[in-house]
Amino acid sequence: MEPPAPLTYSDRLDALRAAKLAQTAEKQALLGAMDHDDWGLILPPPERRKVVRTLSSSGMPITDCTLEGYEPVPNHPSGGFFGPRAAGENFRRLLDAHPVYLDPLSSLAGGYMVNFMSYRKPHWNPDLSAGEFAAEIERYRLLPGIGATQHFCQDLQIGLELGWGGLLKKIRHYRWLNAPRGEDFYAGLEAVVLGVQGWIARHAAEAARLAESEPDAALRLNLEEIAAINARLVNEPPRTFREACQWILWFQVTARMYNGSGSLGRLDVLLQPFYQRDLAAGVLDDEEAVFHIACLLLRDTAYIQLGGPDAAGNDQTGPLSFLVLEAGHRLRIPANVGVCVGENTDPRLLRRAVEIQFADRAGYPKFLGIDRTAQGFARLGYPIELGRQRAYSGCHWSAIPGREYTLNDCVKINFARIFEVAFDEMLADTASQPSTAALLQRYTAHLERAIEVTARCIGFHLEHMHAVFPELVLDLACHGPIELGEDASHGGVEFYNLCIDGAALATVADSFAALEQRVEQEGRLTWQEVQAHLRANWAGPEGERARLMLKSVPRYGSGGSRADEYAIGLARIFAERVAGARTPQGCRLVPGLFSWANTIPMGQDVGATPNGRFAHDPISHGANPDPGFRQDGAPTALAAAIAAVQPGYGNTAPMQIELDPTITREEGGVEVVESLIRTHFLLGGTQINLNVMDAEKVLAAHRDPTLYPDLIVRVTGFSAYFASLSPRFRQLVVDRIISGA
Amino acid sequence: MADPTGLVFNVQRFSIHDGPGIRTTAFLKGCPLRCFWCHNPEGVYPRLEVQFHSSRCIGCGECARICPQGAQELLPSGERVYHRERCITCGECVEACFAESLQITGREVSVSGLLREILADRVFYETSGGGLTLSGGEPMLQPEFSLALLAACKAEGLQTAIESTLLCRWELIEAALPLTDLFMVDIKHLDDARHRAATGVSNRPILENIARLARTGKPVIFRTPVVPGVNDTPAEVGAIAAFISGLALGRPGGLKGLSYELLAFHRLAEEKYHSLGLEYPAAELIPPSKEQMAALLEAASAHLTAVRGR
Repeated sequence: MEPPAPLTYSDRLDALRAAKLAQTAEKQALLGAMDHDDWGLILPPPERRKVVRTLSSSGMPITDCTLEGYEPVPNHPSGGFFGPRAAGENFRRLLDAHPVYLDPLSSLAGGYMVNFMSYRKPHWNPDLSAGEFAAEIERYRLLPGIGATQHFCQDLQIGLELGWGGLLKKIRHYRWLNAPRGEDFYAGLEAVVLGVQGWIARHAAEAARLAESEPDAALRLNLEEIAAINARLVNEPPRTFREACQWILWFQVTARMYNGSGSLGRLDVLLQPFYQRDLAAGVLDDEEAVFHIACLLLRDTAYIQLGGPDAAGNDQTGPLSFLVLEAGHRLRIPANVGVCVGENTDPRLLRRAVEIQFADRAGYPKFLGIDRTAQGFARLGYPIELGRQRAYSGCHWSAIPGREYTLNDCVKINFARIFEVAFDEMLADTASQPSTAALLQRYTAHLERAIEVTARCIGFHLEHMHAVFPELVLDLACHGPIELGEDASHGGVEFYNLCIDGAALATVADSFAALEQRVEQEGRLTWQEVQAHLRANWAGPEGERARLMLKSVPRYGSGGSRADEYAIGLARIFAERVAGARTPQGCRLVPGLFSWANTIPMGQDVGATPNGRFAHDPISHGANPDPGFRQDGAPTALAAAIAAVQPGYGNTAPMQIELDPTITREEGGVEVVESLIRTHFLLGGTQINLNVMDAEKVLAAHRDPTLYPDLIVRVTGFSAYFASLSPRFRQLVVDRIISGA
Repeated sequence: MADPTGLVFNVQRFSIHDGPGIRTTAFLKGCPLRCFWCHNPEGVYPRLEVQFHSSRCIGCGECARICPQGAQELLPSGERVYHRERCITCGECVEACFAESLQITGREVSVSGLLREILADRVFYETSGGGLTLSGGEPMLQPEFSLALLAACKAEGLQTAIESTLLCRWELIEAALPLTDLFMVDIKHLDDARHRAATGVSNRPILENIARLARTGKPVIFRTPVVPGVNDTPAEVGAIAAFISGLALGRPGGLKGLSYELLAFHRLAEEKYHSLGLEYPAAELIPPSKEQMAALLEAASAHLTAVRGR
């Protein structure tokens, strides 16, 4: 009998994808809805699963699975563990307890099964009271960032040069040099590295053991290679392309497991020297490179930038940019790869990206307006070279790898709640005549107060976070923390540009425009009637009529309307106030417009609003107009509207856009979408999340998610399996897509 | 300066099916043909009309209260009745209907006003090679307005296209030639009797204008809406393709700039008919299958290379 043909890379990817889908189905069955990034988490073996309710690394309540048989050692009467030594040592114990994960079809070892964050109870050290801010946090329903983790970008170059052994050596060197200062911090860092080394070594040993009993010659060879590579990587830095992928994967899953970090940054640039060296040596071809990258993307949904300028402005798009893009395309699982679109960026990258969007219809990849974000960052007073170095590495954000601490996406001000406070205050003040002008004045005053309180909360975070739960993994690959003996959240890095995002722009802009037209200009309703309808949540036929009356004014996004003007004005007020504010330490604050997946919880915090929104319904999505903003839903109108509300200081206000798949069949459809993307950035836009989605298919999947278990949507900055989302979250996506179609 | 006005029933931005690039399509109200399957019944008559979308009605009764003609009625049972024959299209009920159950179709616009709307997407036209498409209805039923709008767009440096039945005096087409970069013209049937039966008009003046237009060398996209029982056989489509191919004779550049599209009939217009108080005459028609469209494309491809279907 003839021996079976050896598996191709394509066969192996198909099998790996199938395994991923099976793992996802298992997660859906055990954990229920997952309204967040898919991550690459694999459930622990059945006998070691323990389901818990906890907070995600983004601060959302989630159901999670922890590892039976591991418990952290508390060092505080609250039962929690705080500080670098406790965090590092407990994390090391978790790594020691963590099962080995090997798939003989993958070229890379490792996979993570548990979130360390889910063991942190309580999250904050109760001895450190933020009580002075509590009343105003509650009043404005702020997400002030206290206790938020990661959301900045490490510089993986550091690790690729040093390896784990080199990192350990560096820690020990500075520990000795700075002694006794930073003793606990260094102990924590050391524990992390030792834990990782042990974890890798166990994979090397297991791969060697599996290789002995593997009947298939090709897979046996693969396992032997994995064993050898990982035995080396315990201490040594990577030499080959495959080793570099494996090293990055270890760092990435470690960072993910520690506190949810998904920042990867410029993978094409990082891998470039390894690629060139292996190519020149004749030990690598493009097919193999794509396979290794795919194996990396398979285990973590990290945020990656492709192409874009170096500090001097020279485009770094190269063959690897295309290979990474291709790897995500072949893999067809949720992936968060952003393609740079700029004046000097290789236009072929955009072309290929749009072709893949058309072919896969999986919201992959996304698009980065790199020129605008770099220029915006320079408006903070930094040289543009620094702006160009900010690497895309999270849902809607970028950071300078290894040199900038940002709390990106962690700090949010809900404009709708600010509006509600201002509206109620105005109506309660019987001494003054209500008007939209007076309302805007009160809104601005409350917004300023909310920004001030938020800035002080961030200051509080910067003061204490290092002693609560420091960034022990990301610190390893930053410039400064090891050298200085200071956590990145506490002066360890060079730049502190703290994010403050605004949310609910459309909700509030449309509310102002509705009040102006229906109450002030047309006199169809009085202020008191509006208030009564809001309080009654539009109850009764009169309420519904009033709701539709207010809802049917020209909305933000319709183009040239009062609501458009309000949106521009509100965005500008927010951006200027944030950019002008500082934390008590004097750190800069950077405005963005992005609600992330918080549209639902932020909406729950707010009663009915004069744009016709029901109480506790979701707020508007990021900087987007509400679905139905124009009858034709014109993407050009959307693109122009969102370009006009950009905060303009380097942080983004992404455009979320849904296109009907008929465009893929149109001659010149690719060029049309390219043009739409380019023009949005030309007009000032900063980032685009795109879905090319069949409305019928999405509706069918909404009714019965099991029909399309592999349907992937770009929910917001992240993409996810549609079937993993809660019905309520699916509804949000459906509304957008139906409106876009 | 004269600023003629016209009656439009839709202005669609990011229009990508009516010419190259990103376009804005202005749909002019009024059409000389009466194709029974028409996808845009709200574009047929050159007058304002009220559309009543009964499913959106919340039964507030405001329209009945406000209508000076008693055309809107809310029955005690809660049922809403629209007595279209009494309606004078004053639009007061539409103003009062926030549920958007009642809508006016048709809007009087000036050339300068519409140009402003069109220019909102200028930058998108420039980056994509798009521009304005005049469609309908039939733009040439409002020639003064259409020609002035085309001239205004040209003066702004925009690319322009007209989608026309070509059922109009040749002089109007001639006047549009220097202002128009692309024509899109339907050929529904080559047989005059069949054409009359399907559209209510003879195809002779249309085919004559087509022949003259082709001889000018202007780019033309010919289109056939593939409608079951009307023109959905390979023989019928093949004949149209052969006719188009024959236009190359006497045309500068031959076939260059001529292409042919087959558009499958669909039933998405049905609700619009009901909202206008009309029977849906195509209720029994089943849209052509993918396989059938492929066969028709093949038939057309025997005569022409630039053929595509949708």
